[in-house]
Amino acid sequence: SPSPGLRRRDLCSRGIRLAGKMRSDVVDLLDTYVEWQGLDASASVAAVEGVPAAAVERWDEQTGTQRLLENLAAYRTFRALLAQMLEEQQEQLGEADTELGRALASVLLQVSAFTYHLEELLQLESRGTPSEEVDVPVPPSHLGLFERKLRGLGVLRELAQWAVRSARDLRQLAKPSPGSSSAPGPDESP
Amino acid sequence: SHTQYERVGADVTMKCGSMDWDAAVTWMANGTDIDESHLNGSYLILKNVGLSQSGQYSCYEGSSWHLKYQTSLMVGTPPKEPVLMCRSNNYPKGFYCSWHLPTPTYIPNFFNISVIHGTREMVCEKDAFPKNRCHIRYIQLFSTVKYKVTLTVTNALGKNSTTLTFDEFAIVKPDPPESVVAKPVPNNPRRLEVSWQNPSSWPDPESFPLKFFLRYRPLILDQWQHVELSDGTSHTITDAYAGKEYIIQVAAKDNDIGTWSDWSMAVHATPWTEEPKHLTTEAQITETTSTSTSSFMPPPTTKICDKGAVVGSGAVAVCWTAGLVLAAYGVLFI
Repeated sequence: SPSPGLRRRDLCSRGIRLAGKMRSDVVDLLDTYVEWQGLDASASVAAVEGVPAAAVERWDEQTGTQRLLENLAAYRTFRALLAQMLEEQQEQLGEADTELGRALASVLLQVSAFTYHLEELLQLESRGTPSEEVDVPVPPSHLGLFERKLRGLGVLRELAQWAVRSARDLRQLAKPSPGSSSAPGPDESP
Repeated sequence: SHTQYERVGADVTMKCGSMDWDAAVTWMANGTDIDESHLNGSYLILKNVGLSQSGQYSCYEGSSWHLKYQTSLMVGTPPKEPVLMCRSNNYPKGFYCSWHLPTPTYIPNFFNISVIHGTREMVCEKDAFPKNRCHIRYIQLFSTVKYKVTLTVTNALGKNSTTLTFDEFAIVKPDPPESVVAKPVPNNPRRLEVSWQNPSSWPDPESFPLKFFLRYRPLILDQWQHVELSDGTSHTITDAYAGKEYIIQVAAKDNDIGTWSDWSMAVHATPWTEEPKHLTTEAQITETTSTSTSSFMPPPTTKICDKGAVVGSGAVAVCWTAGLVLAAYGVLFI
């Protein structure tokens, strides 16, 4: 069987490709979503509660494990959020098969696959995977249709950022450093 | 010493310090007497001042020649809206902003820049050189919150400002690739080997890989050929026109975000060609053969030869090669 180092590098490169495809599909989904929901593409959306923000400080100082754990928590949440959006979408339109529905389902599938991928990587780090409990606040029932649409926009935008971040995280992880759990020295020169 | 700033086209009145209006005085501008026609009593009147009237103005008491007043007049304009640009060529370390005024003011200007990210105010550290530039280190990465940069320019005659709003990914634009080298490939008349390096300003090409765009054309044509390369810092062109000098450039872009860099410095290269001397001997022999046997074969003055030959030896080689090929066909049909 391949050494853990090789297996990690293999999982990382596949993960990077998955993240790249995911990002590209999320960007397309954003276009479809904006069109279907009749939204303005440049609409400003305030930080949505319960949506994992991709923004991070001292990103270069994170350990490999930290990266994986944060990614895993995020994508598990996105998986639940996208499932919610898909359900709402189907409720709204009644039909099971719409262009938006298909696009949402496709991205949901990729998010699930990526989550699984992250779990594999974490197991390789012999950290085991944290329990599946995901805290996804159900959108308050008083949220009107428009607010729900904006919330969906916020979810997808943040997911697009995460997809870019994840590819970078995996590249950091794939670097042949002495120990994946040790923090890579941050480059301090201006 | 006193400095006075006035707008171009303004009317300026200078008093000779505390001297009375009817006192006898002499005004001088940069050491030259000013004609009395510009005086209203002891006041100096300059109408519709122009840039050339900037300088040192002095006023002397009539009889004693005591210096009563001196001022430095600077004629200029209030600032127009400044031009501001922000860019990240060293992602993910940070970004820089640079600015300039579209037209000069001719008087000293002061610039103040503010960078706001959400609720946080960030410090843009001024660069020693160039002067009108400052840089910021990213505190957060992968943020969806936009950055708002406001530049205010102030001088003694007025102020103006401009604001830029952008997100982290949009301003990423690497510097062009460096050390672009193009070489012919021995024994391959249609190939050129091109190699380059990541721009040195890009801090971490391993985690933030760049992709590249290569463009090339023979000097004699206007149309570029393009190749996009998702990795690697070299490429072999396989469809070059034999013997033609090529111009080649490369551009870079982060794999996922931002925009393409400017084109690199152009490099020139000509594909490998056979030694003309060696061909001359052979071609001369076959030429004699062809002329004596068939008349349908056109003389070896092909279009390629006629086009303004850029590289002397290259063009000759093509001519001879064409002649050799045609001669060979001629021999075949005997």
